[in-house]
Amino acid sequence: MNRRRLFNNFYGYLLVLPSYAIFFLFILIPCLMTVIISFTNYDLYKTMDFIGLDNYKRIILDDVFIISIRNTVVYTLFTIFPNLALGLLAAVFLSSRIFGRSFFRAAFYIPYIPSMISVSMVWLWMFDPSNGILNKIMQVLKLPQQKWLFDMDLALPCLIVIGIWKSIGYNMILYIAGIKEIPKYLYEASKIDGASSVKTFFLITLPMLRPITFFLLVTGMVSSFNVFDQVNVLTEGGPINATTTIVHQIYSRTFLTYEAGYGSAMTIVLMIIVLILTLLNFKHGSQGIDRGFV
Amino acid sequence: MEEAASRFYKSHKKYILFTVMCILSCLVLFPFVIMFLTSLKTADEILSPVFKILPERINLENYLKILQKGNWTRYFINSIFLTITVTCLSLLINSMAGFSFARIEFIGRKTLFILLMLGLMIPAQITLIPMFIIIKNFPLAGGNNLLGFGGSGLIDTYLGIMLPQLSGAFGIFLCRQFYLSFPKAIDDAAFIDGCAYPRIYFNIYLPQSKSVLISLGTLKLTYTWNDYMWPLVVVKSDRMRTVQLALASFRDEVIKWEMLMAATTLVSIPLIIVFLINQNLFTQGISTTGIKG
Repeated sequence: MNRRRLFNNFYGYLLVLPSYAIFFLFILIPCLMTVIISFTNYDLYKTMDFIGLDNYKRIILDDVFIISIRNTVVYTLFTIFPNLALGLLAAVFLSSRIFGRSFFRAAFYIPYIPSMISVSMVWLWMFDPSNGILNKIMQVLKLPQQKWLFDMDLALPCLIVIGIWKSIGYNMILYIAGIKEIPKYLYEASKIDGASSVKTFFLITLPMLRPITFFLLVTGMVSSFNVFDQVNVLTEGGPINATTTIVHQIYSRTFLTYEAGYGSAMTIVLMIIVLILTLLNFKHGSQGIDRGFV
Repeated sequence: MEEAASRFYKSHKKYILFTVMCILSCLVLFPFVIMFLTSLKTADEILSPVFKILPERINLENYLKILQKGNWTRYFINSIFLTITVTCLSLLINSMAGFSFARIEFIGRKTLFILLMLGLMIPAQITLIPMFIIIKNFPLAGGNNLLGFGGSGLIDTYLGIMLPQLSGAFGIFLCRQFYLSFPKAIDDAAFIDGCAYPRIYFNIYLPQSKSVLISLGTLKLTYTWNDYMWPLVVVKSDRMRTVQLALASFRDEVIKWEMLMAATTLVSIPLIIVFLINQNLFTQGISTTGIKG
């Protein structure tokens, strides 16, 4: 028996080793490294002197970084709630038996499949001020021509529209799976009691879907907070920083102006925000959850 | 009046719902329609002041031009190679680890697993800078010495793009949950027959895990094919570019829209076709991996 245990240990480690080594090297160690680098003036090549809290002092005074936090918060709030609401609405309607149901489901889900880069390219074309389809439509409707992504006030809303459009389908799919698992007798009971369908929705469907809403809220917030791809290819943070986001700042500081120490300090700020968001959500959202989550 | 409207709604509910859904899905698919129609047009049609939504005639010239232009075949080969390798390798090593966490009682299993779960919460963007440094200072690669200095390390190599993408705390977690549901008696029986754990995994567990591997594989496949940020940081030369980087690089010059749209169609169509062929599989994968855990 003892020998078996010894073998267990050996094989246990052996099978875990390859993936754990990579996990360790590319996720755990980087987390610690970020903390250390954030206290230095590392430039990705040679210089790496300890400079204490200077990077963090700089962050507080960095107007562009403050703007990027504001933009990220606006983006997150204005994508996540419409996404949840529209995804849920689509799921409710497409859970009932209507003709062409699977076609509609696929249609809503398709934007989620291609990369953010591909869909950004398509939107870039649609938003094009001189030949893009949106301005042509505006022309037909006799509305003023817009500069869309080149307009200080419109650029961020444009990115938000893309963000919403892309992930309604994802939220919908998860909600459909959740609706399927709600016991049928609840609906039968409410029907016997004569509840209207709106009432049934608010008293049965919505509360029963709470775990999924919670899951989507947490993961959606974290991923919206890390928005980068579309910013980098559509606007590069412009016009005049109107669309720059936290990750975009981290990227451009580190890899374009080679201030990796400063970039790392920003990363720490991002990490703390993401952590707080997750914890808050867990604290207020997880009450009464009886299902296991990731 | 209001009552009449509500009665009308109730009796025609199905038709109203159907019409609304038709309009909405057309709206959602509209960008893709534009993408495809633009890719069939010529440069003159796009720049002409008279706007027509349909191309004058169907010509696939732009697609041919794209494939002949620059290194586009190379970009496609890069992306296909990277995606397939990353997907297969990560499925193998992550399911192996998942099996070990589920079935073998080794010392420190719990601690290692909790660390893994913490890692699950960390988005890739946060580890970007150190990951770059590690890849750059990888020992004994790309002219680096044993301590990882002197050369460019794994920057601009296939290995450099792939290695960080192989990790998958989520995949390990999912496989573990899946293997936990297997009866333990299998292991004991195999043990009595003198079968060691690696063989139990390869001969019994792996052949049984088709369903979980397929849903995990589709997720990984899409993710790797679509990844932009990590290749952007790690790729330096033109010949190592992935299709996503190549698409983004259209912005570096005056954009030829018809070419860009043809390229975008080529890059996104494979995934959409895969999706349409096994739609159920995709959505099942998403919903089981997303919620049940």
